[in-house]
Amino acid sequence: MEPTENVLEIRNLVKDFPGVRAVNDVSFVIKRNTVHCLVGENGAGKSTLIKILTGAYTRTSGQILLKGEEYNPHNTRDAKQKGISTLFQELNVVDQLTVEENLTLGMEDTTFGFIRRTEKINKMVEVLNSIEPSIKPNQLVSSLSVAKKQIVEIAKAVASEADIIIMDEPTAAISESEIVRLFAIIKNLRERNVTVIYISHRLDEIFELGDYVTVMRDGKHIETKPVADVHDRSELIKMMIGKTVFEQYTPRSCESSEPILQVKNLSNHRLNNVSFEIRPGEIAGFYGLVGAGKTELARALYGADAYEGEIIFKGQKLKPETENAINAGITLVPEERRTQGLFTILTIRSNVPVMNMSKISRGGFINNALEQNAALEYVDKLKIATNTIEKEAAKLSGGNQQKVVLAKCLFADADLLMLDEPTRGIDVGAKSEIYSIIRQLAKEGKTIIIFSSELPEVMNICDSIYLLYEGCLKSTMRNCPEINSENVLHIVTGGA
Amino acid sequence: MEIKQPQKLIIGNKLSDESFITLFMIGVLIILFGLACLVVPNFYLPKNILNLITNNWFIIILGIGVTFVLITGNYDMSVGANIALTGVLSVYFCQGANVSQNTLANGLGLPYGVAVVLALLCAMGVGAVNAFFIAKLKVPSIIVTLGTSMLARGTAQVITQGAQRNTSLPDAFGVLGNWNLPGTPFRLPLLIMIVLITAAFIFERKTIFARRIYLIGANPEAARLSGINVAKYLTMLYIFSGLLAGITGILLASEYQAGVSSRAMGYEFDALVVTLLGGVSVAGGFGSVLGMFVGAIILSVVTSAATGMLLSPDWQFTLKGIVTFLAILAQRYALDKRKG
Repeated sequence: MEPTENVLEIRNLVKDFPGVRAVNDVSFVIKRNTVHCLVGENGAGKSTLIKILTGAYTRTSGQILLKGEEYNPHNTRDAKQKGISTLFQELNVVDQLTVEENLTLGMEDTTFGFIRRTEKINKMVEVLNSIEPSIKPNQLVSSLSVAKKQIVEIAKAVASEADIIIMDEPTAAISESEIVRLFAIIKNLRERNVTVIYISHRLDEIFELGDYVTVMRDGKHIETKPVADVHDRSELIKMMIGKTVFEQYTPRSCESSEPILQVKNLSNHRLNNVSFEIRPGEIAGFYGLVGAGKTELARALYGADAYEGEIIFKGQKLKPETENAINAGITLVPEERRTQGLFTILTIRSNVPVMNMSKISRGGFINNALEQNAALEYVDKLKIATNTIEKEAAKLSGGNQQKVVLAKCLFADADLLMLDEPTRGIDVGAKSEIYSIIRQLAKEGKTIIIFSSELPEVMNICDSIYLLYEGCLKSTMRNCPEINSENVLHIVTGGA
Repeated sequence: MEIKQPQKLIIGNKLSDESFITLFMIGVLIILFGLACLVVPNFYLPKNILNLITNNWFIIILGIGVTFVLITGNYDMSVGANIALTGVLSVYFCQGANVSQNTLANGLGLPYGVAVVLALLCAMGVGAVNAFFIAKLKVPSIIVTLGTSMLARGTAQVITQGAQRNTSLPDAFGVLGNWNLPGTPFRLPLLIMIVLITAAFIFERKTIFARRIYLIGANPEAARLSGINVAKYLTMLYIFSGLLAGITGILLASEYQAGVSSRAMGYEFDALVVTLLGGVSVAGGFGSVLGMFVGAIILSVVTSAATGMLLSPDWQFTLKGIVTFLAILAQRYALDKRKG
C-alpha cells in the first residue's frame, strides 16, 4: 500500500509562552496510515506541539489541516471527536471498572439515564477481541498490566474511528515482551486506517517501528524524512543536538580535596544502588532522560523522599528530612518551580527569606528592614527584572521566577546547591544568566549539583558528568571538550 | 532578554491585599451600619454600638484560631462542641464529690484552679486529635473536625446525661465570666478577647511562626521543600484553636454557672462565617485577624438589626446564610477587580 494522502498538515505553527517561543514556525505533513515518529530533546517543543494537537493548548498562530480541513480543537474531547485520540503516559482508564465499561466510558448510549447495551458496545468489544483476544471484556481493568491497559485504550480509539492516535512514550513503563506485542499491534494499525504519531526517547524503536521521523530542536522543525533514509542512530542524534556551540568553559579539577558529599548504595522506588562522591567547589551534572531518576535522586539527597543507603555530607550522616538537609547546608531548586519552589501568591519580598528566617528576625520577630534589605540585595544580585519587591511571584516571567527560587536557596547560605532542571522553560537570555550565576557560586567555593535532561546544559557548565539510566548510575566522567555526545546519548538511551 | 531596570525599586508603599480587603470590608460595615441606623430606632446609640462588640466576644475569640487554621487551608469545625465539652468538664471537675444522691450534682471535688487547667488540657487534647488525623494521616480537615465535634459533644452529653450540671459548685466558679472592670461595664471575657485579638494581630504581622502559617497555606509542597515542618505547625495551630475554644468554654460556663452539653451549637459555623466575611481565603495563604474582627462586627450588625426590625429570630440562620454568600461574592469581586 502506497501511503500518499496527507492526513495532517501543520503549517507555520507558532506557540508563545511568556518569554519563550516553545514552537517556532513549524511546518510538516503526516501521511495517512503511517507510523510517524517525533523526536527531540526535552524542551525541543514536542510536548507543546502534541498539546496543541490534543486541544490542551491553543496555538498562537499558524494552521493545522486534518484531512484537508481546518483543525482547531477546544479540548481533548473535541480533538477525539474530530479524529485525534491520544495515549497519554498517564493512562485514561478507570481501574475500578471493567474493560467493557472502560471502552464505552464517556460515550454510553442511554435511555432515561440508564446505560443501554447497543451495537456500539458490541463493536468495541469486537475490535478489542481482534486486537488482543487475551483481554476479556468483563475483566476489571485494575487486573491488567500497563501494556494491556494501553491496548484497551488503543482499541477504544480504533473503534471510535480515530484517524490519528498519538502515543507519548508508550514503552516507558512496560516490559520487553510486552513491547514486542505492542509493536505488533501498532504495525497492524495501518491496516485499520489509523495513523500513529509516535513519541519516544528510545531511538532504536524509531528504526523498528517508524515510517517517517520528524526531528525538532529548540522549538523548530529540523527535518522530516522517511526512516528508511536515515542512516543510523548517530544521524538522528546529530539532528537532535545540532551544532551546539559550547561556551568556552574549562572544567576545573577538584580531585585533591576530601569529598564533601558521599553517597553510598542509595536505593528507593526509583533509584537502584547509586553511589558517588562530590568534592567541594565542584559543579557536578547528572544527565539522563525523563524517568532516569534525576529528580528522585535530587529529592532523596534533599531528604524529601525516603531511601535506603547512606548520604554523608561534610562527614555527617544525613537523616531523610528536608529540615535536616537544609540545616546541614544543602538546598534544592526543585524541578517544578511554580508548584514546588515558589509561593506564587506572595511577593518577592516574602519569598526570598523563607528558607532562613532567622536571618531576618530577632527573637522570633521579623525585622522589616532586614527583610526588605534581603529582598533588595537578591533582586540586585541576581538581576531579577521587577520594579518592586512587593510584586507577587506569579506575575514574574519564568526566568525571573527561577531567579527568585534561586535567591531563596542562596539566602539559606548552603554549601551544596542542587538544581533540578534549572533552565526548563525559560528563555535563552535568562538561561545564560543562570549559568553565569552558577559558575560564580562555584568560584566562591559552593558545591553545585545540576540535574538536567539537556546535554548541552550539562556539558556547558559542569566539571564532571554522571549518566543515569532507569535509576542506575551508568557512567561517570570528567567533562572535557573531547566528550563524545553521541556516546553519552547512547548510554542514556539504554545502549550498553 | 533582560530589560535594564531602573535602580530605584519601589518599596513598601503598596497596600497588601489583606489590608485592601480589610478596608473594603470596613467600608461594607459602615454602609450596613448606616442602613441599620436608618431603619432601626436607636441603633446609633453608643450603648448599642458597644453591645455589637461585647455580645460577640466568644465568636471573636474562636475566630482567631479558625482564621489561622483557615490561612493554612484547613478548617476547624470542632470549636463549638469543644466549648460545650470544656464547660461541662470545668463544672464536673470542681463539683463536690459525693455530696448528693443526684449523680448530676456529684463531681470530682477538685479545686477550681485545677479544674480549669484540666479542662483546658482536654480542650487542647481535642485539638491534638484533630492534628493527628489532619497533619499525620492527611485526612481532609473538614471531615476530621466534624468527627471530633461529634465526639466532644457526645462526651459532654454523657457527662451531663444529656442536660446540664449546675449544682454544688464552689463560689469561685462564677467569678471569671462575670467579673467587671471596676467602674466600667466591661467584663473579663471582653478584656480577654481584646488582649487576645491584639496579641494575635501582632503575632500575625510580626512573627516567623505566623509567616510560616501563610507559607503553608500559599503552597504546602513548596513550604515542605523549604524546610518547614508542615505537620508540626498544623499540630500547634489545632491545639491553639482547641485552647481558645477551651477558654471560651470555661468563661461561658462560669458566666451561666452551669455546664450545658448543648452550649455553643453552631458557633463553629459563626466563627467560619466571620473569617470569610473578613476576607480570609478558603484556598489558604491569605487573610488577617483584623479582617475577621470586622467580619464579626458585620455579622453582629446584620443580626441585631434584623432583631431590631422585629424580624422573628427564626430568620437568624437564613440571614447568616445569605450574609455568607454575599461575603464570598464581595470578596471575589473586590479581589478580581484589583487583579484585573
